[in-house]
Amino acid sequence: MELIDFYADWCGPCQMMKPVVEEFEKAHPEITVKSINIDDEEELAEKYGVSSIPCFVVLKDGEEVAREVGAMPLKKLEKLVGVKRG
Amino acid sequence: MKKYDVIIVGAGIAGLTAAIYVSRAGKSVLVLESTMQGGQIINTINIENWPGDFKVSGAELSQKIYKQAEGLGAEIDFDNVEKIEKITEGFRVVAEDDEYIAGAIILAVGADPRKLSEKQTQDAGKRPISYCATCDGALYKGKPVVVVGSGNTAKHEMEYLQNIASKVYHIHHDDPIPEDAEAVFVAIGRVPATGNFADLVDLDERGYVVAGEDCKTSTPGVFVAGDCRTKEIRQLVTAAADGAVAATEACRYLG
Ligand SMILES: Cc1cc2nc3c(=O)[nH]c(=O)nc-3n(C[C@H](O)[C@H](O)[C@H](O)COP(=O)(O)OP(=O)(O)OC[C@H]3O[C@@H](n4cnc5c(N)ncnc54)[C@H](O)[C@@H]3O)c2cc1C
Repeated sequence: MELIDFYADWCGPCQMMKPVVEEFEKAHPEITVKSINIDDEEELAEKYGVSSIPCFVVLKDGEEVAREVGAMPLKKLEKLVGVKRG
Repeated sequence: MKKYDVIIVGAGIAGLTAAIYVSRAGKSVLVLESTMQGGQIINTINIENWPGDFKVSGAELSQKIYKQAEGLGAEIDFDNVEKIEKITEGFRVVAEDDEYIAGAIILAVGADPRKLSEKQTQDAGKRPISYCATCDGALYKGKPVVVVGSGNTAKHEMEYLQNIASKVYHIHHDDPIPEDAEAVFVAIGRVPATGNFADLVDLDERGYVVAGEDCKTSTPGVFVAGDCRTKEIRQLVTAAADGAVAATEACRYLG
Protein backbone atom coordinates (compact mmCIF):
# COMPACT_ATOMS: atom_id res chain seq x y z
CA MET A 1 0.00 0.00 0.00
CA GLU A 2 1.08 3.52 -0.75
CA LEU A 3 -0.26 6.90 0.27
CA ILE A 4 0.56 9.91 -1.87
CA ASP A 5 0.14 13.31 -0.26
CA PHE A 6 0.01 16.13 -2.83
CA TYR A 7 0.80 19.45 -1.15
CA ALA A 8 2.35 22.89 -1.61
CA ASP A 9 4.12 25.24 0.75
CA TRP A 10 1.64 28.07 0.19
CA CYS A 11 -1.41 25.95 1.03
CA GLY A 12 -2.81 26.43 4.57
CA PRO A 13 -4.74 23.16 4.85
CA CYS A 14 -1.59 21.34 3.66
CA GLN A 15 0.34 22.94 6.52
CA MET A 16 -2.34 21.71 8.93
CA MET A 17 -1.93 18.18 7.50
CA LYS A 18 1.85 17.99 8.00
CA PRO A 19 1.72 16.82 11.65
CA VAL A 20 -1.18 14.50 10.80
CA VAL A 21 0.77 12.84 7.97
CA GLU A 22 3.83 12.53 10.23
CA GLU A 23 1.73 10.84 12.90
CA PHE A 24 0.28 8.52 10.27
CA GLU A 25 3.77 7.51 9.12
CA LYS A 26 4.83 6.76 12.68
CA ALA A 27 1.74 4.67 13.40
CA HIS A 28 1.85 2.76 10.09
CA PRO A 29 5.42 1.96 9.06
CA GLU A 30 4.03 -0.73 6.73
CA ILE A 31 2.53 1.93 4.44
CA THR A 32 4.80 3.88 2.13
CA VAL A 33 3.98 7.57 2.35
CA LYS A 34 5.12 9.89 -0.44
CA SER A 35 4.75 13.63 -0.02
CA ILE A 36 4.74 15.36 -3.40
CA ASN A 37 5.27 19.11 -3.67
CA ILE A 38 3.13 20.00 -6.69
CA ASP A 39 5.28 23.03 -7.50
CA ASP A 40 8.33 20.79 -7.95
CA GLU A 41 6.56 17.87 -9.60
CA GLU A 42 3.94 19.36 -11.87
CA GLU A 43 3.88 16.33 -14.19
CA LEU A 44 3.01 13.95 -11.35
CA ALA A 45 0.20 16.22 -10.19
CA GLU A 46 -1.08 16.32 -13.76
CA LYS A 47 -0.71 12.56 -14.21
CA TYR A 48 -2.91 11.97 -11.17
CA GLY A 49 -5.36 14.72 -12.19
CA VAL A 50 -4.91 16.70 -8.98
CA SER A 51 -7.23 19.72 -9.17
CA SER A 52 -7.29 20.75 -5.52
CA ILE A 53 -4.89 20.27 -2.61
CA PRO A 54 -4.21 18.78 -0.12
CA CYS A 55 -5.03 15.63 -2.10
CA PHE A 56 -4.50 12.12 -0.76
CA VAL A 57 -4.32 9.22 -3.19
CA VAL A 58 -4.16 5.60 -2.01
CA LEU A 59 -2.44 3.07 -4.27
CA LYS A 60 -2.57 -0.71 -4.07
CA ASP A 61 -0.13 -2.50 -6.36
CA GLY A 62 0.27 0.81 -8.17
CA GLU A 63 -3.46 1.16 -8.86
CA GLU A 64 -5.50 3.99 -7.35
CA VAL A 65 -8.05 2.60 -4.88
CA ALA A 66 -9.12 5.72 -2.97
CA ARG A 67 -8.77 9.48 -3.02
CA GLU A 68 -9.81 12.39 -0.82
CA VAL A 69 -9.29 16.13 -1.04
CA GLY A 70 -8.97 18.56 1.89
CA ALA A 71 -7.68 18.60 5.45
CA MET A 72 -8.82 15.72 7.66
CA PRO A 73 -8.02 14.26 11.08
CA LEU A 74 -5.82 11.17 11.48
CA LYS A 75 -8.91 9.02 12.07
CA LYS A 76 -10.28 9.87 8.60
CA LEU A 77 -6.92 9.45 6.88
CA GLU A 78 -6.66 5.97 8.41
CA LYS A 79 -10.16 5.16 7.23
CA LEU A 80 -9.27 6.32 3.71
CA VAL A 81 -6.22 4.04 3.59
CA GLY A 82 -8.15 1.24 5.28
CA VAL A 83 -5.90 0.79 8.32
CA LYS A 84 -6.51 0.96 12.06
CA ARG A 85 -4.20 1.82 14.89
CA GLY A 86 -3.07 -0.64 17.56
CA MET B 1 -21.47 7.37 28.03
CA LYS B 2 -18.76 9.98 28.58
CA LYS B 3 -19.87 13.03 30.56
CA TYR B 4 -18.54 16.58 30.41
CA ASP B 5 -19.53 19.84 32.03
CA VAL B 6 -19.43 21.58 28.65
CA ILE B 7 -19.35 20.25 25.10
CA ILE B 8 -18.31 22.68 22.38
CA VAL B 9 -19.29 21.92 18.79
CA GLY B 10 -16.65 23.20 16.34
CA ALA B 11 -12.92 23.82 16.83
CA GLY B 12 -12.68 27.08 14.92
CA ILE B 13 -11.38 30.23 16.59
CA ALA B 14 -14.65 30.69 18.53
CA GLY B 15 -14.82 27.09 19.79
CA LEU B 16 -11.13 26.88 20.72
CA THR B 17 -11.26 30.19 22.60
CA ALA B 18 -14.35 28.99 24.46
CA ALA B 19 -12.41 25.82 25.39
CA ILE B 20 -9.61 27.95 26.87
CA TYR B 21 -12.08 29.84 29.05
CA VAL B 22 -14.03 26.76 30.19
CA SER B 23 -10.80 24.93 31.09
CA ARG B 24 -9.51 27.90 33.06
CA ALA B 25 -12.80 27.99 34.96
CA GLY B 26 -12.01 24.47 36.19
CA LYS B 27 -14.78 22.68 34.28
CA SER B 28 -14.36 19.61 32.11
CA VAL B 29 -14.69 20.33 28.41
CA LEU B 30 -14.79 18.38 25.16
CA VAL B 31 -14.52 20.05 21.77
CA LEU B 32 -15.92 18.05 18.86
CA GLU B 33 -14.66 18.96 15.39
CA SER B 34 -15.84 17.34 12.16
CA THR B 35 -12.89 18.22 9.92
CA MET B 36 -9.87 20.17 11.14
CA GLN B 37 -9.12 22.55 13.96
CA GLY B 38 -8.98 26.20 12.92
CA GLY B 39 -12.10 26.20 10.74
CA GLN B 40 -12.46 28.57 7.80
CA ILE B 41 -9.37 30.66 8.54
CA ILE B 42 -6.87 27.86 7.74
CA ASN B 43 -6.94 28.81 4.04
CA THR B 44 -5.76 32.36 4.69
CA ILE B 45 -2.05 33.04 4.29
CA ASN B 46 -1.62 36.55 5.71
CA ILE B 47 -3.83 37.80 8.53
CA GLU B 48 -3.24 41.47 9.18
CA ASN B 49 -5.87 42.27 11.80
CA TRP B 50 -5.29 39.70 14.53
CA PRO B 51 -3.77 41.81 17.32
CA GLY B 52 -0.26 40.87 18.38
CA ASP B 53 0.68 38.64 15.45
CA PHE B 54 1.07 40.65 12.23
CA LYS B 55 0.81 38.59 9.00
CA VAL B 56 0.36 35.31 10.82
CA SER B 57 -1.06 32.52 8.66
CA GLY B 58 -4.43 31.01 9.55
CA ALA B 59 -2.83 27.58 9.87
CA GLU B 60 -0.19 28.81 12.33
CA LEU B 61 -2.70 30.80 14.38
CA SER B 62 -5.03 27.81 14.57
CA GLN B 63 -2.27 25.46 15.73
CA LYS B 64 -1.23 27.93 18.42
CA ILE B 65 -4.74 28.31 19.84
CA TYR B 66 -5.33 24.54 19.56
CA LYS B 67 -2.16 23.79 21.56
CA GLN B 68 -3.10 26.46 24.11
CA ALA B 69 -6.55 24.92 24.69
CA GLU B 70 -5.04 21.43 24.91
CA GLY B 71 -2.34 22.65 27.30
CA LEU B 72 -5.02 24.02 29.61
CA GLY B 73 -6.73 20.63 29.76
CA ALA B 74 -9.40 20.80 27.06
CA GLU B 75 -10.12 17.52 25.28
CA ILE B 76 -10.46 17.81 21.54
CA ASP B 77 -11.80 14.98 19.41
CA PHE B 78 -12.70 14.58 15.76
CA ASP B 79 -16.32 13.64 15.31
CA ASN B 80 -19.21 15.19 13.41
CA VAL B 81 -22.12 16.18 15.68
CA GLU B 82 -25.40 15.09 14.14
CA LYS B 83 -27.95 15.87 16.83
CA ILE B 84 -28.27 17.37 20.32
CA GLU B 85 -31.23 16.63 22.59
CA LYS B 86 -32.35 18.01 25.94
CA ILE B 87 -32.47 15.28 28.60
CA THR B 88 -32.95 15.45 32.38
CA GLU B 89 -29.19 15.40 33.10
CA GLY B 90 -28.48 18.10 30.54
CA PHE B 91 -27.90 17.33 26.87
CA ARG B 92 -27.30 14.19 24.84
CA VAL B 93 -24.84 14.83 22.03
CA VAL B 94 -25.04 12.35 19.16
CA ALA B 95 -22.01 12.32 16.88
CA GLU B 96 -21.05 10.05 13.99
CA ASP B 97 -18.74 7.76 15.99
CA ASP B 98 -19.91 8.25 19.59
CA GLU B 99 -22.43 9.71 22.03
CA TYR B 100 -21.79 12.04 24.94
CA ILE B 101 -23.58 13.84 27.79
CA ALA B 102 -22.99 17.48 28.67
CA GLY B 103 -24.31 19.91 31.25
CA ALA B 104 -24.13 22.80 28.82
CA ILE B 105 -23.52 23.25 25.09
CA ILE B 106 -21.66 25.85 23.08
CA LEU B 107 -22.43 25.87 19.35
CA ALA B 108 -19.44 27.24 17.44
CA VAL B 109 -20.09 25.63 14.06
CA GLY B 110 -19.21 28.62 11.88
CA ALA B 111 -20.17 28.87 8.24
CA ASP B 112 -19.46 27.00 5.00
CA PRO B 113 -19.09 28.47 1.52
CA ARG B 114 -22.40 28.75 -0.33
CA LYS B 115 -22.48 26.09 -3.02
CA LEU B 116 -22.66 26.89 -6.73
CA SER B 117 -26.22 26.81 -8.14
CA GLU B 118 -27.37 23.61 -9.78
CA LYS B 119 -27.57 25.31 -13.15
CA GLN B 120 -23.98 26.55 -13.00
CA THR B 121 -22.76 23.22 -11.61
CA GLN B 122 -24.25 21.49 -14.65
CA ASP B 123 -22.71 24.14 -16.85
CA ALA B 124 -19.31 23.46 -15.26
CA GLY B 125 -19.61 19.80 -16.22
CA LYS B 126 -16.38 17.93 -15.49
CA ARG B 127 -14.40 21.10 -14.79
CA PRO B 128 -13.12 21.43 -11.21
CA ILE B 129 -15.08 23.69 -8.86
CA SER B 130 -13.03 25.39 -6.14
CA TYR B 131 -14.07 27.43 -3.11
CA CYS B 132 -10.55 28.67 -2.35
CA ALA B 133 -8.33 30.44 -4.88
CA THR B 134 -5.32 30.55 -2.54
CA CYS B 135 -5.58 26.75 -2.15
CA ASP B 136 -6.09 25.71 -5.74
CA GLY B 137 -5.18 28.71 -7.92
CA ALA B 138 -1.62 27.62 -8.58
CA LEU B 139 -2.86 24.45 -10.27
CA TYR B 140 -4.12 26.63 -13.14
CA LYS B 141 -0.91 28.48 -14.00
CA GLY B 142 -1.26 30.00 -17.47
CA LYS B 143 -4.79 28.67 -17.95
CA PRO B 144 -8.10 30.54 -18.23
CA VAL B 145 -10.35 30.38 -15.16
CA VAL B 146 -13.59 31.99 -14.03
CA VAL B 147 -14.62 33.55 -10.72
CA VAL B 148 -18.31 33.48 -9.74
CA GLY B 149 -19.57 36.09 -7.28
CA SER B 150 -19.91 39.81 -6.75
CA GLY B 151 -18.82 40.45 -3.16
CA ASN B 152 -15.51 41.37 -1.56
CA THR B 153 -14.27 37.80 -1.41
CA ALA B 154 -14.86 37.37 -5.15
CA LYS B 155 -12.83 40.54 -5.74
CA HIS B 156 -9.95 39.18 -3.66
CA GLU B 157 -10.06 35.83 -5.42
CA MET B 158 -9.87 37.62 -8.80
CA GLU B 159 -6.90 39.72 -7.74
CA TYR B 160 -5.11 36.62 -6.53
CA LEU B 161 -5.80 34.62 -9.68
CA GLN B 162 -4.85 37.46 -12.03
CA ASN B 163 -1.19 36.83 -11.14
CA ILE B 164 -1.45 33.14 -12.01
CA ALA B 165 -4.04 32.40 -14.67
CA SER B 166 -3.80 33.42 -18.35
CA LYS B 167 -7.26 34.98 -18.13
CA VAL B 168 -9.72 35.51 -15.31
CA TYR B 169 -13.37 35.76 -16.31
CA HIS B 170 -15.76 37.32 -13.85
CA ILE B 171 -19.41 36.29 -13.79
CA HIS B 172 -22.34 36.54 -11.41
CA HIS B 173 -24.65 34.07 -9.83
CA ASP B 174 -26.53 32.29 -12.65
CA ASP B 175 -24.54 33.70 -15.59
CA PRO B 176 -23.38 31.04 -18.06
CA ILE B 177 -19.86 29.68 -17.46
CA PRO B 178 -17.38 30.66 -20.21
CA GLU B 179 -16.58 27.69 -22.42
CA ASP B 180 -12.81 27.91 -22.27
CA ALA B 181 -12.51 28.39 -18.49
CA GLU B 182 -10.67 25.35 -17.11
CA ALA B 183 -11.71 25.78 -13.48
CA VAL B 184 -14.53 27.54 -11.66
CA PHE B 185 -13.73 29.53 -8.52
CA VAL B 186 -16.79 30.23 -6.41
CA ALA B 187 -17.19 33.08 -3.89
CA ILE B 188 -20.90 33.69 -3.44
CA GLY B 189 -21.11 34.07 0.31
CA ARG B 190 -21.33 31.72 3.22
CA VAL B 191 -24.06 29.74 4.96
CA PRO B 192 -24.12 28.98 8.70
CA ALA B 193 -23.52 25.27 9.41
CA THR B 194 -26.51 25.10 11.76
CA GLY B 195 -28.74 22.61 9.89
CA ASN B 196 -28.35 19.85 12.49
CA PHE B 197 -29.48 22.15 15.30
CA ALA B 198 -32.72 23.62 13.93
CA ASP B 199 -34.73 21.61 16.51
CA LEU B 200 -32.48 22.63 19.39
CA VAL B 201 -32.40 26.44 19.09
CA ASP B 202 -34.15 29.24 17.21
CA LEU B 203 -32.53 30.14 13.89
CA ASP B 204 -33.21 33.29 11.87
CA GLU B 205 -34.46 33.10 8.28
CA ARG B 206 -30.89 32.76 6.97
CA GLY B 207 -29.99 29.98 9.38
CA TYR B 208 -28.01 31.95 11.97
CA VAL B 209 -28.53 31.04 15.65
CA VAL B 210 -30.53 33.86 17.22
CA ALA B 211 -28.64 35.39 20.18
CA GLY B 212 -27.42 38.76 21.37
CA GLU B 213 -24.01 39.76 22.71
CA ASP B 214 -24.56 37.51 25.77
CA CYS B 215 -24.45 34.50 23.39
CA LYS B 216 -27.56 32.96 25.01
CA THR B 217 -29.80 31.04 22.61
CA SER B 218 -33.54 30.39 22.91
CA THR B 219 -32.73 27.18 24.85
CA PRO B 220 -31.35 27.58 28.40
CA GLY B 221 -27.99 25.81 28.68
CA VAL B 222 -27.18 26.20 24.97
CA PHE B 223 -24.85 29.05 24.00
CA VAL B 224 -23.55 30.16 20.62
CA ALA B 225 -20.23 31.67 19.56
CA GLY B 226 -18.67 32.99 16.38
CA ASP B 227 -19.79 33.26 12.76
CA CYS B 228 -22.92 31.10 13.23
CA ARG B 229 -24.51 33.70 15.56
CA THR B 230 -26.73 36.59 14.42
CA LYS B 231 -24.36 39.58 14.46
CA GLU B 232 -22.94 42.44 12.44
CA ILE B 233 -19.22 41.73 12.27
CA ARG B 234 -17.90 38.25 11.53
CA GLN B 235 -14.16 38.30 12.15
CA LEU B 236 -11.53 36.39 14.12
CA VAL B 237 -11.50 38.76 17.08
CA THR B 238 -15.29 38.80 17.34
CA ALA B 239 -15.32 34.98 17.12
CA ALA B 240 -12.76 34.82 19.94
CA ALA B 241 -14.72 37.39 21.96
CA ASP B 242 -17.88 35.32 21.58
CA GLY B 243 -15.94 32.27 22.76
CA ALA B 244 -15.04 34.05 25.99
CA VAL B 245 -18.59 35.27 26.60
CA ALA B 246 -20.28 31.95 25.75
CA ALA B 247 -17.85 30.01 27.96
CA THR B 248 -18.34 32.35 30.90
CA GLU B 249 -22.14 32.22 30.53
CA ALA B 250 -22.05 28.41 30.21
CA CYS B 251 -20.02 28.10 33.45
CA ARG B 252 -22.39 30.51 35.20
CA TYR B 253 -25.35 28.39 34.01
CA LEU B 254 -23.73 25.25 35.48
CA GLY B 255 -23.20 27.09 38.76
C1 LIG C 1 -11.23 33.66 2.83
C2 LIG C 1 -11.47 34.24 4.20
C3 LIG C 1 -10.58 35.17 4.72
C4 LIG C 1 -10.79 35.73 6.00
N1 LIG C 1 -9.87 36.62 6.48
C5 LIG C 1 -10.04 37.14 7.72
C6 LIG C 1 -9.07 38.03 8.28
O1 LIG C 1 -8.06 38.37 7.64
N2 LIG C 1 -9.30 38.53 9.53
C7 LIG C 1 -10.39 38.19 10.28
O2 LIG C 1 -10.52 38.65 11.40
N3 LIG C 1 -11.32 37.35 9.77
C8 LIG C 1 -11.18 36.80 8.52
N4 LIG C 1 -12.13 35.94 8.03
C9 LIG C 1 -13.31 35.62 8.85
C10 LIG C 1 -12.93 34.57 9.89
O3 LIG C 1 -12.31 33.49 9.25
C11 LIG C 1 -14.16 34.07 10.64
O4 LIG C 1 -14.88 35.14 11.18
C12 LIG C 1 -13.78 33.12 11.80
O5 LIG C 1 -12.80 32.21 11.39
C13 LIG C 1 -15.01 32.41 12.33
O6 LIG C 1 -14.63 31.47 13.30
P1 LIG C 1 -15.69 30.46 13.92
O7 LIG C 1 -14.95 29.69 14.95
O8 LIG C 1 -16.91 31.19 14.31
O9 LIG C 1 -16.16 29.50 12.71
P2 LIG C 1 -15.37 28.53 11.72
O10 LIG C 1 -14.00 28.97 11.49
O11 LIG C 1 -16.25 28.34 10.55
O12 LIG C 1 -15.29 27.15 12.55
C14 LIG C 1 -16.37 26.30 12.74
C15 LIG C 1 -15.88 24.88 12.93
O13 LIG C 1 -16.97 24.04 13.28
C16 LIG C 1 -16.85 22.81 12.62
N5 LIG C 1 -18.19 22.21 12.52
C17 LIG C 1 -19.25 22.67 11.80
N6 LIG C 1 -20.32 21.86 11.98
C18 LIG C 1 -19.92 20.86 12.82
C19 LIG C 1 -20.58 19.71 13.37
N7 LIG C 1 -21.86 19.43 13.10
N8 LIG C 1 -19.87 18.90 14.20
C20 LIG C 1 -18.56 19.17 14.48
N9 LIG C 1 -17.89 20.25 13.99
C21 LIG C 1 -18.56 21.08 13.17
C22 LIG C 1 -16.26 23.19 11.28
O14 LIG C 1 -15.63 22.08 10.67
C23 LIG C 1 -15.28 24.30 11.65
O15 LIG C 1 -13.99 23.79 11.91
C24 LIG C 1 -11.93 35.37 6.76
C25 LIG C 1 -12.83 34.44 6.23
C26 LIG C 1 -12.62 33.86 4.97
C27 LIG C 1 -13.59 32.87 4.44
